[in-house]
Amino acid sequence: MGVDRDYRCRVTKPEDFNEFWGLVLDELSSIELNVECEKDELRSDSEVTVYQIFYDSLDHVRISGWYSVPNTPVNRLPAILLVPGYQSDPPIPKDWSAKGYACLSVNPRGKVRSRSQFDPGYPGLLTHRIVDKNTYSYRGFYADAWRGIDFLLSRGEVDSERIGVAGSSQGGGLAITTSAIRKEIKAASAGAPYLCGFMDAIELTDTYPYQEINDYLRTYPDRLEEVESTLAYFDGISFADQIDCPIIVNLGLQDNVCPPETGYALFETIGSKDKKLFEYEGHGHEAGRYVHSGIMDQFFDKHLKG
Amino acid sequence: MNDNRPLDFGQFWYSLGKELSEVPIAAETETLPMRSTDFADLYGIHISSIGPYTIYGYLSIPKGDGPFPVIYYVPKNASVLEIIPQGTSNQIRSRYITFSLACRGMRTADSPYAAMYPGQLTEGIESLSSYIYRGVVADTLRGLDFLLTCPMIDKSAIVAWGNDNALLAGALHGAVTHIVSTPSFLYDTINQASRTSSYPLEEFNDYLRHNPERKGQISEILSYYDLRFHCSAITAESLIMADYDGGLFDKKTLRNLTENMNGAVTVHPSERSSYKDGMFCEKWITDKLFGKDATPIVPNHWKLE
Repeated sequence: MGVDRDYRCRVTKPEDFNEFWGLVLDELSSIELNVECEKDELRSDSEVTVYQIFYDSLDHVRISGWYSVPNTPVNRLPAILLVPGYQSDPPIPKDWSAKGYACLSVNPRGKVRSRSQFDPGYPGLLTHRIVDKNTYSYRGFYADAWRGIDFLLSRGEVDSERIGVAGSSQGGGLAITTSAIRKEIKAASAGAPYLCGFMDAIELTDTYPYQEINDYLRTYPDRLEEVESTLAYFDGISFADQIDCPIIVNLGLQDNVCPPETGYALFETIGSKDKKLFEYEGHGHEAGRYVHSGIMDQFFDKHLKG
Repeated sequence: MNDNRPLDFGQFWYSLGKELSEVPIAAETETLPMRSTDFADLYGIHISSIGPYTIYGYLSIPKGDGPFPVIYYVPKNASVLEIIPQGTSNQIRSRYITFSLACRGMRTADSPYAAMYPGQLTEGIESLSSYIYRGVVADTLRGLDFLLTCPMIDKSAIVAWGNDNALLAGALHGAVTHIVSTPSFLYDTINQASRTSSYPLEEFNDYLRHNPERKGQISEILSYYDLRFHCSAITAESLIMADYDGGLFDKKTLRNLTENMNGAVTVHPSERSSYKDGMFCEKWITDKLFGKDATPIVPNHWKLE
């Protein structure tokens, strides 16, 4: 038995989807970015300078990140927004800067160094206030990631015409939503995308983090309708038709965290005409990273450096 | 680089054990009904370690009559404490007692000390007594002390599972019968760090770039934790998950560890696939604890082969 490549998820994009997110973006734009950027001498080296950065996001939550730039002097740099996995700690992106990019590795609310005002914990984040789209944790979490683009645009060394987004797992899901919402993005890479086809994923997998939703529904079985309704606004599949930049997606066909079926359903929905899927047989949630990292390098070189 | 075991190595670890034994475990248990299922109950456990310092773990106990084998997920070098590692079948909780522990600095054990990642591995490394890892190891051992107080455990089947800390647990605590370990930062640390720019080892490079004069002292401090000097005390049957051939911690590099352990050792070079490596681990532990005819409990997408 193999993975069903024609699998389609049950999520339906809400009719007022754009209105909902438009209001969120309006609210976000009314909040000053209020950037703080401090060089981290300890983490900087001869090739790369590292900064600890902060900015304000939705609900005035202070968001942190690691920002790094290559030391080699150039006029304007291509840039990458690196979006994080679910339970892993956002990395210092020296490797991206060693390849010639300005790179922001963002810590959305609840992640390490961004958790003093909001911290539902792990497990917890995935179902925090999930019964209402206006209170759900990912309303702010998505906005925090998207706002990373505003930070990059505020940097004089960044070429605003050459910004990409990359991530895997939750980062893959965030790469989808960010490239759908922020039209400044010129290229996107989404690996093993999480946050796509939620209601299917909780039946296809028996692993955390998706088990958090099953835990919640076991505790509050009468809230199924509300949960499904909320998640439709946050499902990557609901965002995907709005992506129009070049994008690559990689899936592990034995992914035990983010079921590949939901990855296929996502890919089918992506609106971009320049989209390519990489399927890795014999690979789990790492989604063929060791091979695929070279493909990602070539992809971003072509679209952001070419 | 420090290739010699410190002269007072035994005394150092004896002192830690003695200090730990003088701190009551003082376990406090809370039920976590949302994370309990029809096959396992979950509890949050507060226990005391040296300092004294309060640490926290998730204890899952299968429904039914014990005793049950135990998987002890040792503290990680990361901020988040998971009930079971991401991607592990939740059904594993129907077969094993699982216990995952946050050491000092991790979430749920971050008061008063909240570790940074990167940052934890060099915290207080200015001296042997202030280095945070002394407390981290004490916390790891305290988790085993706590498990031994649980009436439903099968003491003949206690698996320490995780990074380097799993091997330290096996070397320093007699309760461990099996080990599944992926060494990542406590094997010939400074020498290995010089071969990479990736975290977590890059943390040591960062530190030494700013404090080059301290290289000798840091190497000496780390030698107390170096797996090469602990391996002879390990009698548990062990699976060492090595890097792929040519990787930083590949089978060849780890020879000084694996060839000097005193229990049976299986070394598995990574196949650069979390699926293949994960399947190997699950089959290995099932084979060791339940015999070759038993079926490993694996996630849904690993059953398709």
